[in-house]
Amino acid sequence: MPPNESAVITQNLTKTYTSKIRNPEQRPSLFQLGKNRTVTAVKNLNLEIRRGELFGLLGRNGAGKTTLVKILCTLLPPDGGTARVNGFDVAKQQMQVKRSLGTIFSVGERGFFWRLTGFGNLEFYAAINNVPRRGRRERIMEVLDLVGMKDNAFEVFQKYSGGMKRKLALARALLPDPPILLLDEPTTGLDVVSSRNIRDFIRNDLVKKAGKTVLYTTHYIEEASQICDRVAILNKGQLTALDTPDALRGMAKKGEVLDIVAKNMSEAQVESLRGVDGITSLAAEVQDAMLGQTRLRLRLENVDTLPRIFDFFFREKIKIINFKQEEPTLEDAFIELTGAGISE
Amino acid sequence: MTLLQELDKVYFFMKRDILSFSTYKTNILLSVLSAFFGALSYAFLGANALVQSVEASYHISYTTYLIIGLAFNTYLSQSLTLVQRTINPWSLEEVLVSPTGLVTFIVGSSLWGFIWSTGVIAIYLAVGVFAFGVVLTVNIVGTVLVVALGIATFIGFSMIGAGILILTKQGDPVTTVITIATNLFGNVMFPPQVMPAALQVISYFVPQYYFFTTIRQMLTGSTLLAILPDLLVLIIMCAVILPVGYLIYSWCLRTAKKNGTLSWF
Repeated sequence: MPPNESAVITQNLTKTYTSKIRNPEQRPSLFQLGKNRTVTAVKNLNLEIRRGELFGLLGRNGAGKTTLVKILCTLLPPDGGTARVNGFDVAKQQMQVKRSLGTIFSVGERGFFWRLTGFGNLEFYAAINNVPRRGRRERIMEVLDLVGMKDNAFEVFQKYSGGMKRKLALARALLPDPPILLLDEPTTGLDVVSSRNIRDFIRNDLVKKAGKTVLYTTHYIEEASQICDRVAILNKGQLTALDTPDALRGMAKKGEVLDIVAKNMSEAQVESLRGVDGITSLAAEVQDAMLGQTRLRLRLENVDTLPRIFDFFFREKIKIINFKQEEPTLEDAFIELTGAGISE
Repeated sequence: MTLLQELDKVYFFMKRDILSFSTYKTNILLSVLSAFFGALSYAFLGANALVQSVEASYHISYTTYLIIGLAFNTYLSQSLTLVQRTINPWSLEEVLVSPTGLVTFIVGSSLWGFIWSTGVIAIYLAVGVFAFGVVLTVNIVGTVLVVALGIATFIGFSMIGAGILILTKQGDPVTTVITIATNLFGNVMFPPQVMPAALQVISYFVPQYYFFTTIRQMLTGSTLLAILPDLLVLIIMCAVILPVGYLIYSWCLRTAKKNGTLSWF
């Protein structure tokens, strides 16, 4: 590895998929034919992840996060550009790249053998990841202890909860003690407490104490905002922004931000509101369908727009349940940069 | 809840299955072929001349012929599906991101299957010997050699089948064709001599024929010298099929990785 080289570097990295599309309206036929569709999942991506950094990769579903992780761990060859992991080229030095990495894919339980115990599963993965036979048992117990699974080591995998399966996946990635970890949506599907435990473990134990480099992909804005040193926002395979969470928030600082909860607001009314002069962006989501509550997040050119907004709600006879004027968040930056809705 | 509503539900259960089923076009074709050739091979089992043909050609009883054929077919079946069983999309990616080579992966994934098959073969042979009076005179070196060649040849087939499966995500035509060829032309349950002359010729082009011919001889007192011509053909077939299988499998794996379809099934 060249001295001081960054943990991960990509230069003009590009990956394109070709897939068949079937027309759902087509009548069932034994010999359905589909048309080819080309999708550029990653487009001319230039990234540099420093050693010891917790680097967040934020993007909507289909933004290209998982494709990037798969290229970096050698599962997908890039179509263009280069990527280096721990100083090794992902296309030409695959074995060295694999030895440098621990990876968690977005589906936590994949690859585990459901009728084996957690320990039995890790024993297999320790062997195929070159963990030396001497001391292997101790290493397995050590990583199980690290993720808080030592007491459940000898329970069969199929009895584990979702959170425990994720922790075991994390333990598996840590087994060979790699300098770099690729964690693809490691908290997806977990409850709030389990997610927080895993995030704290990654931030405090893996990055701060052990000095690992972590690439953490997520579509949860809060996660990226809370734990990452720097965050890259990926949209349609392209890098839209890259900076610290604070700096990204700063990108959305111009103007005012309003958070409004309204009652019984139709989609048409949301669209009308979007057209009010002085609103630069609007994101809406159903907050509580039973109560008919819609949450709106508005960016305004300046405070002078406020009367026009209240006038709109008064005219449309829409009840405002809650109203807050806020500092721009990473979410605002994300919405502005990707054009996404709140919950996307 | 009306009868019509329930019938509507039943229809949509069926429609769901037809739509899913119709996406596996190769599977449909292979099922039809398997049924047709399966019926054909069982028809030959009923041939009047079967027992006399076995005794005349191989100088062993039909029971001995059948027991050895069925027992060692376990190895070939195991080998034929070996690589396909390792490509469970979930664990495949996890293994491929580890610093483990393809050969280690295939050998490691297959070892237990062969140990288990050896146990199954031992049961077959024990039943033959103790219940049906089958007499075995084993040439150990010859048996090991023939079994190794048979397994290697069939792993070659298995890699071709698995490669196609990785790419097409549908039925694997190679396994079906090889299974049909084994049952019909492989000298497993009946010798090719009971088939019409035109079909007999096909047997001489399938490695299964040479495997079962030589393994029977190695278990019933023949010498390596006596089976040399058939053994040489088996060696040549193995030397071609195994590397070709490896090349096809590697190429298909690379292509699926390139297309990003490795975990699609």
